[in-house]
Amino acid sequence: MTADGTAIAEADAPDLGVPVPALEAADVVKRFDGVHALEGARFSVRAGEIHALLGENGAGKSTLIKILTGIHAPDAGVIRRDGQEVEFPTVRAAGRAGVVALYQELSTVPTISVAENILLGEQTPSGAGLVRWSVMRHRAKELLGRLNQHIPLGALGADLSPVQQTMVAVARALATDAGVLILDEPTASLTDTEIRDLFAVLRSLRDEGVAIVYVSHRLEEVFELCDRLTVMRNGRTIMTKDVAHSSIDEVISTMVGRAPGDLYPPRGTATTAIAMRVDGMTGRRVDDVSFSVCEGEVLGIGGLAGSGRSELLRLIAGAQRARSGQIVVGGAAVPAAAGVGRMLDAGVALVPEERRSQGVILNSSIQDNIALANIRAVSTGGVVHATRIADIAQRGMKDLRIKARGPRQDVGELSGGNQQKVVLAKMLARKPRVLLMDEPTRGIDVGTKAEIYRLIRDLAAAGTAVIAVSSELPELIGMSDRILVMHEGRIAGIVPAESADDELLLSYAYGRAQ
Amino acid sequence: MTNSSSHTHTEGRNEMTIQKDPVRTAAVVQQSSRTLGRVLLSGGTVVALVLLIGFFFAMRPDTFLSFVNVRNILYQVSILAIIAGAQTIVMVVGDFDLSVGATSSLAGAVAAAMMLDEHSMGVAILAALAVGLLVGLVNGVLIAYLNLSAFVATLATMTSVVGLAYLVTTGTTLFGLPPEFNALGQGRLFNVPLPVYFAVVISLVIWAMLRFTTIGRRWHAIGGNVEVARLSGVNVRFARLLAFTLAGLVSAIGGILLAARLGSAAAEQGGDNMMFSVAAVFLGMTVIRSGAANLGGTMIGVAIIGVMSNGLNIMGVNAYVQQVVTGLIIIAAVTLSSLKTRER
Repeated sequence: MTADGTAIAEADAPDLGVPVPALEAADVVKRFDGVHALEGARFSVRAGEIHALLGENGAGKSTLIKILTGIHAPDAGVIRRDGQEVEFPTVRAAGRAGVVALYQELSTVPTISVAENILLGEQTPSGAGLVRWSVMRHRAKELLGRLNQHIPLGALGADLSPVQQTMVAVARALATDAGVLILDEPTASLTDTEIRDLFAVLRSLRDEGVAIVYVSHRLEEVFELCDRLTVMRNGRTIMTKDVAHSSIDEVISTMVGRAPGDLYPPRGTATTAIAMRVDGMTGRRVDDVSFSVCEGEVLGIGGLAGSGRSELLRLIAGAQRARSGQIVVGGAAVPAAAGVGRMLDAGVALVPEERRSQGVILNSSIQDNIALANIRAVSTGGVVHATRIADIAQRGMKDLRIKARGPRQDVGELSGGNQQKVVLAKMLARKPRVLLMDEPTRGIDVGTKAEIYRLIRDLAAAGTAVIAVSSELPELIGMSDRILVMHEGRIAGIVPAESADDELLLSYAYGRAQ
Repeated sequence: MTNSSSHTHTEGRNEMTIQKDPVRTAAVVQQSSRTLGRVLLSGGTVVALVLLIGFFFAMRPDTFLSFVNVRNILYQVSILAIIAGAQTIVMVVGDFDLSVGATSSLAGAVAAAMMLDEHSMGVAILAALAVGLLVGLVNGVLIAYLNLSAFVATLATMTSVVGLAYLVTTGTTLFGLPPEFNALGQGRLFNVPLPVYFAVVISLVIWAMLRFTTIGRRWHAIGGNVEVARLSGVNVRFARLLAFTLAGLVSAIGGILLAARLGSAAAEQGGDNMMFSVAAVFLGMTVIRSGAANLGGTMIGVAIIGVMSNGLNIMGVNAYVQQVVTGLIIIAAVTLSSLKTRER
């Protein structure tokens, strides 16, 4: 399958019969802190086509888009605009060359009018330093007319619906004569009718000769809208193909990575004693989720970004306010929205997703970080004991083999893996019944990853229930006993990890299997 | 940001052994000069204090470091030290309090008015402390529970509190306070004025609180990273409420002592201490490596302000010039402080 896809990618290289691409990235390499985000990615979009860019989280799509729009500079490789080699040192440089990306969240300024939003910045018609309002309104109206939109020009950005915001952003791109439009998950917050409107606009722009790059996790939409598609995996371009000659199943299996290696320790035997039951948990993006986890079990949670998997963990941990729901842990019921302190007391601890902004205080010492979640244990009558802080830190550093000069070293000076171990030490010192981990191995090296998988197994063997969210399928399958897959805030399925494979999990994640 | 600088560090050090590539060698050179800069920067505030003392000693060798003048400086800064202590608590948590000066004035006014109203000194002082506590509590509720920004909330309470102080004093200066009250601000023990002792004791208490108590650890954690603190189970709202409440109470102590020292109470007599307290804390933040508010540093900041003001005074520089210089010091402090943050 893969070999076959690669062959097609190579056959797609520019030759005389094919029109010159409007925008092209060839053999782009990008490293962050020595980790390859892109390893020779290639991508091209022609004028007058809608081209889908697909891949799992971490496949390199976002990095590639950021390079195409001047946010990141490539370490190697070439970008061509209409066949000419170009460099985009800034977003503005890319914009001047007619390459514009629209991001869902940042599309309009909420405090200014639609007309101003459309003709923002350099496009604002002015003379002698004064804004020429009549010209501005006229041009804004004309641009919206091209999109068949009737949005009041005086409305504020804040009053617009999500689809109107997207339309305003598209109009702004047209105002700059953008020849290449890049849309990143434009339909994430749109209703079906709004999606149809947007698609109509995108099709008419395509017919006018605009090149459109469409990034989405929603494969049905891709197959409805797009002309060609490119699939990336692990920073490489795996396949570029006409949509008409491909299928959703082919795309999913192309996106899938290798089989899990021997990074993962063998599974243990979970007990049947229930460690925690979650009933009807409901939050902003989580809708009536119920499940339970046994003592000694590792429950993986998968799903696409935005499916509510991280929010579910945060709701359980009390880090985010639940609308309704209940948690039964250790035989006692705790209402939802009890707060982090109470959940910790009940034996539920969270290792959060963003280590550097949520897990550790970077300019504080290892021992102070570990003591933070254990203030009661290191104090009597409101007074902390320096020796107990040192003890609890020494123990955590020894148990987790944290590599540091000593407990007083600042956490900011440690490697990502060791920082993650500090977060773990902090929470494990509370001896939780249920340990929640959000992306437990993000941004850490393979050696430490293996250590963390072993640690998770050891905790489970000692009776702790571990619930871990991961966007890496091999990790989910390798470390878990069971896997719960989320889709649009609900449980799409719970499967035993032994019988799970990437395709099954992805089909749940995309809402294809029930 | 923070980590990337430490990354460049390690790289710089590794390159030292290679030193083939001219660009990299240049980076190493830049690295070592940056280290020198950092030493100057971190020691800068203390060095500045020593230089100031040296300068004024050189200018006025017979008077500046005499016992009487040093005692004078300590006496002059004792109230500011107390208010700056209050400001330090709030700034450790990552907030700040514009109302400390106004609160101290109001507390002094309340104590004075009540004593003139034939209440006993004890009752008057307790009432004044309660008023300070209450203002702090209001700040805390507005900021921690109603999510107002510290700037807006304390600016608003400052405005109202100044108004209240005018109401209490009916716009006049209240004097004729009982001598036993004035003795709190003017009396001496071992030939050193009492406010100096109060300032030392209060500073020690705040220092110990910040360092050795659970609430102190929580305050530090919140100031370090509020989200990490929250996810570690810290009740962030309650801890912030306590910080503002305590700051109000400590400001009231400062205001009562100021009224006792002056033997009178006017509506805005503590107002200057607000800006000076912020300046002192900022100066103090440049003293320690992490760049966080800390009581030791604050006291160095207070000393700089006190020495500066006293030195310029005995050199006969007029008060308006002193005001200009104080503003410049604040700018220097904030600049130093931000340079330091950028270094991290």
